[in-house]
Amino acid sequence: MKKVKYAFFLGCLIPAREPNYESSVRKIAPELGIDLVEMEGANCCAPFSIQSVDHLSWLALAARNLCVAEQMGLDIMTLCNDCYESLLMGNTILKEDKEIRDKVNEILADVGLEFKAKTDVKTFVDVLHKDVGLVRVKNAIRRPFNGLQVAVQPGCHLTRPKRIHFGEWMGVTALDELVEATGAKSIAYERKESCCGGPLRGINDEVAQHVAKQKLDSIKAAAADCIVTVCPFCYLELDMGQLEIKRHMQLKEEEYDLPVLHFVELLRMAMGMELEDWEIRAHRTPITRVLKM
Amino acid sequence: MGESGLSSLSSDFMHEVANTPRGRGVLTCIQCGRCTSSCPVARVVEEHNPRKLMEMIILGSRSDVLLGQLPWHCLSCFTCLDRCPQGGDVGETMFAIRNLAVREGNIPKGTLVQAQSLFDTGRVVTPSRMALVNRQRYGLGKEPAVDVKDVQKILRKTCFSKLTSQGS
Repeated sequence: MKKVKYAFFLGCLIPAREPNYESSVRKIAPELGIDLVEMEGANCCAPFSIQSVDHLSWLALAARNLCVAEQMGLDIMTLCNDCYESLLMGNTILKEDKEIRDKVNEILADVGLEFKAKTDVKTFVDVLHKDVGLVRVKNAIRRPFNGLQVAVQPGCHLTRPKRIHFGEWMGVTALDELVEATGAKSIAYERKESCCGGPLRGINDEVAQHVAKQKLDSIKAAAADCIVTVCPFCYLELDMGQLEIKRHMQLKEEEYDLPVLHFVELLRMAMGMELEDWEIRAHRTPITRVLKM
Repeated sequence: MGESGLSSLSSDFMHEVANTPRGRGVLTCIQCGRCTSSCPVARVVEEHNPRKLMEMIILGSRSDVLLGQLPWHCLSCFTCLDRCPQGGDVGETMFAIRNLAVREGNIPKGTLVQAQSLFDTGRVVTPSRMALVNRQRYGLGKEPAVDVKDVQKILRKTCFSKLTSQGS
């Protein structure tokens, strides 16, 4: 069977805050024939907040990560939409614009590196959907979530901006199909492709919470059993965010109690591998409702 | 400033933004407002209006744009960018404005904290000691190492460290 091998870009937020995301990825990857190779010495992708401070610093730091993958002779697989956007957009700019590439390479020369435009950046959604393939994912399902109504949260940078994505990339459809491969139903809801508010967490919490609340209200109105995310920022904003919204807006405890799962957690359980206690407890909003399905 | 208020406008500002990386979109804006109508922040914050911000750039309200809070309300969700009929890159222009605003000393505390963490540790968010202990307990192995020295060399060369030290 086809073996899929990637340079594994873990990013900052997942090891710091969401070990339950990482653990499920490491559990399912070997089962689906994905070989993940650690990127030694990789740094932060330089997300939105850093891009807001300085353009050249962003590109130089993104380029350094791309160089690490180039030296490994592998394409990069990301787990976070922000890492994906930063590295993919950086890679696209550096490949297309010789002037900025020369400038970045002059900076990288100081750390003994050169960007050679030899690697590509993919999200694990793409890897699962295209490289592993929907058929193989479906064949791996042992305990389908029949009847589970899922509100999929694709997140902004899975698909936007459109122009940096490859022509055929239909990220939201791919994710819907993967969710439905687990037996669950990906339900329609208003503002499905709208932002979770997460990028403003820690910068302007009040705005972030109001944006998140709009999304949660749409999901509630669609009578979803749970939310499924692929981006650690969306996960944080919608899982822990529910507690924060209730506290800051003085709402009743039962007002928001939607379980939020990383997609890989749903897939892992559907593949017959139960979550451990610590992984269940890592969720701020209890996920008991889904575990009982 | 005279009574007319004209002296507070900077006729070069639009081109200053357009010549900043990611700022070119301002030249093609036709003020149709599709950015504002698709903006998730505009729905919850009354004063947030990307079209208005583009107008202020075009008219040259330099200090109002660069010293205000509006560019920092943007989520960079890129909905406006995908929907702009002019390929006008409003969401991209926001990055150009924020880059200029930082040079005027306008940077939110949360952004500054992330920037300083990046310089000190190579990451915008760093694992707590507890998180590191838990990694071992959960069988996740050693925490992936970051080459902080290389990150600092790069950020010194781009003057990033100077930009973010002024606010601290």
